[in-house]
Amino acid sequence: MKRTAALLSLLATLTAATVTAGCADTAEQTADPVSLLVAGTPDELAAYRALAAAYEQATPGARVTLIEASTAKDLMTKVSTSIAGNSPPDLFLINYRNYGQFAVKGALAPVTARLAASASLHEQDFYPQAMGAFRWQGEQMCLPQNISSLAVYYNRTLFKQYEVAEPAAGWHWNDLVATAQALTRDAGGRTVRAGEPETAGTPVAVHGLGIAPELIRMAPLIWSNGGDIVDDPNAPTRLTLDTPQAREVMQDFLELPRIGVVPSDVEVEAQDYEARFAAGKLAMFVSSRRVTTAFRAITGFEWDVAPLPQYRAPANILHSDAYCMTRTSANQDAAWRFLEYALSDPGATLMAKTGRTVPSRISVATSAAFLSPGTPPGRSQIFLDTIPALRPVPTIATWPEIEDATGKVLENAFFHGDPLDKVIRDLDAATRTVFERGAASR
Amino acid sequence: MNRDRRQLVLMLAPYLAGLALLVLLPATATMTMAFTHTDLIATSEFIGLDNFAELARDPAVHAAVGNSLSYLAYSVPLRLVLAVGLALLLHRRTRGAGTARAAVLLPGAVPELAYGLMWLWLLNPLQGPVNQLLLLGGENGRTMFGTLPPQWLTDPEDARAGIVLMSLFTIGETFVIVLTARLALPPEAYEIAELEGARAGQVLRRVTLPLLAPVLAVLVLRDTVASLQASFIPALVVTNGGPPPYATTYLSLVIYQEAFEYLRYGYAAAVAALTLILTVMAVLIQWRLLRRWAYHGLAGMGTHRLWG
Repeated sequence: MKRTAALLSLLATLTAATVTAGCADTAEQTADPVSLLVAGTPDELAAYRALAAAYEQATPGARVTLIEASTAKDLMTKVSTSIAGNSPPDLFLINYRNYGQFAVKGALAPVTARLAASASLHEQDFYPQAMGAFRWQGEQMCLPQNISSLAVYYNRTLFKQYEVAEPAAGWHWNDLVATAQALTRDAGGRTVRAGEPETAGTPVAVHGLGIAPELIRMAPLIWSNGGDIVDDPNAPTRLTLDTPQAREVMQDFLELPRIGVVPSDVEVEAQDYEARFAAGKLAMFVSSRRVTTAFRAITGFEWDVAPLPQYRAPANILHSDAYCMTRTSANQDAAWRFLEYALSDPGATLMAKTGRTVPSRISVATSAAFLSPGTPPGRSQIFLDTIPALRPVPTIATWPEIEDATGKVLENAFFHGDPLDKVIRDLDAATRTVFERGAASR
Repeated sequence: MNRDRRQLVLMLAPYLAGLALLVLLPATATMTMAFTHTDLIATSEFIGLDNFAELARDPAVHAAVGNSLSYLAYSVPLRLVLAVGLALLLHRRTRGAGTARAAVLLPGAVPELAYGLMWLWLLNPLQGPVNQLLLLGGENGRTMFGTLPPQWLTDPEDARAGIVLMSLFTIGETFVIVLTARLALPPEAYEIAELEGARAGQVLRRVTLPLLAPVLAVLVLRDTVASLQASFIPALVVTNGGPPPYATTYLSLVIYQEAFEYLRYGYAAAVAALTLILTVMAVLIQWRLLRRWAYHGLAGMGTHRLWG
């Protein structure tokens, strides 16, 4: 009898728990949870959690479920597999260089009409360069969260110590190289020419420059010199690095190791550029705004940012991420409401305070939340000054593959000194079929 | 159906169901996908043999086939020799044998990703302990033999050697099987060998290895099947397929990159099919060699048939 009573009470408890869970589920459904997929460093992810919490607090009953990916590539996988599994996130944040395949395949819900009808968001609130990067066949596919570009991070303490003039707006590539030569020093502070660590006589304590041999690092310099990286930016079919303008830039870029101002491949593998700069072993480092958060932890020296050097005219490359809404999302209205908050002044300010992004919203980009007086980098304004000169890479479904394929060839050429003609031939051979596939999927 | 047979079927049923659902079904789906253009975003499109035609001219796949076969050729025999050597060394109950056995087993218990990250530090060309150790006794950044230390992450040959080196410390499972097999060998065989005055080398060649042969054969086949996948985490975490262009790009890495980084699931499935074909070929070649070895014996030792 006792045993039967115990079993009955257990059954009752289980039933009650199931009913409660069911009620909770119903409550969640009415609360319209918005799923947001993002990738980033722990700092960035913490900022998105703060954004989600702020939205939930500002909007009673609203809920945001954050899905975190470790890298941008991991995010791409998660988006595609979730679309295939018919459970896509309502929103995901993606770089414009990677969003092409989702736009081409019709996986995104355009936001043109919602933006036009919105009382709180307007097209003119955002930098047009960032908006344009996410426009596909006349439709605004995603809304940009940030608008970054390349800059030269420099160790101001080293510049002062060796009495080298700090970079100024409008400086030429040759000025960058000369500055890097003046700052490449041994442990005794003497200027030296860097080489392979195992063959060079004197070890280098500080390298003048750190720059990754990548197409997206060379592209703004080629544009600045009057060249282009592809034959048709709207419908590219091949790289055009064989033009005199592009060749000049590539020659200059690939000569950096021979000039002896950059770390060797062994040194970069031992400690990457970002860590080298943070450790005070690199006088200048070309990167986008994304490294700012990590560099703000530097206490051993003063640092700042300078504009990217140029050839004939100012040019820079757009780095931008946007919130995209999936076409099959069952929760688009709630997702849009979250978007309106995330890109409003309070939402964008929260993200700007991380230091990682240059806000796409003009009012926040020009506010103290981004320019952050008193917090490095002191010259954050250069990220805004360069915006008129920003250019995007082509929107093509296979662009991530093109970057990877060119990266392999350029890394080899940079560190092992391949002849320029061979490099250009190899780049063309490695990408021609990838462009063909990209064109076919349009 | 008699009672024993019914019992056998019943006991096998859960395994067979799992095999069908978790292996055969996905494998069939993958093989079908190899004939399509699939990106998991748009609808799949049947493209016949196009993916296989692309395989034939893809430099990444060419490099990956060469690298995978070279990994298999070095890693499988070295791992087996090491596992057998350690098992024979540690099968006796001597002082410290238990600790040594645990030490052999432990690396296999480390999660693969953590194991890869650990090796990324160990093989760091300038600060890594491996190169620091090699530099002991040397001068001016050279080893005691006057050579440069290996550039594990930037030299293609050294990087491939590094990946094989990493595989040599995860032999715990093979080690346990060989150790168990050795402990199960009949002591009488050794007593007779001792009475006949056989030396240690002769005992190893004429008693131990022939008696262990069936187990070793299975381990070789198993390691061959696993080795085409085992290089994946080290190549992804430690070398990322480089140094460029494709020094440590293995088939498993190509599958991962094509599917999960470029969303070319159809093409990745074709590479998976190629991997399967290569694995079957490698196993068949080894099977034939092992059968011949089994019939003719080790080092011309009789015609003792070990299986079949």
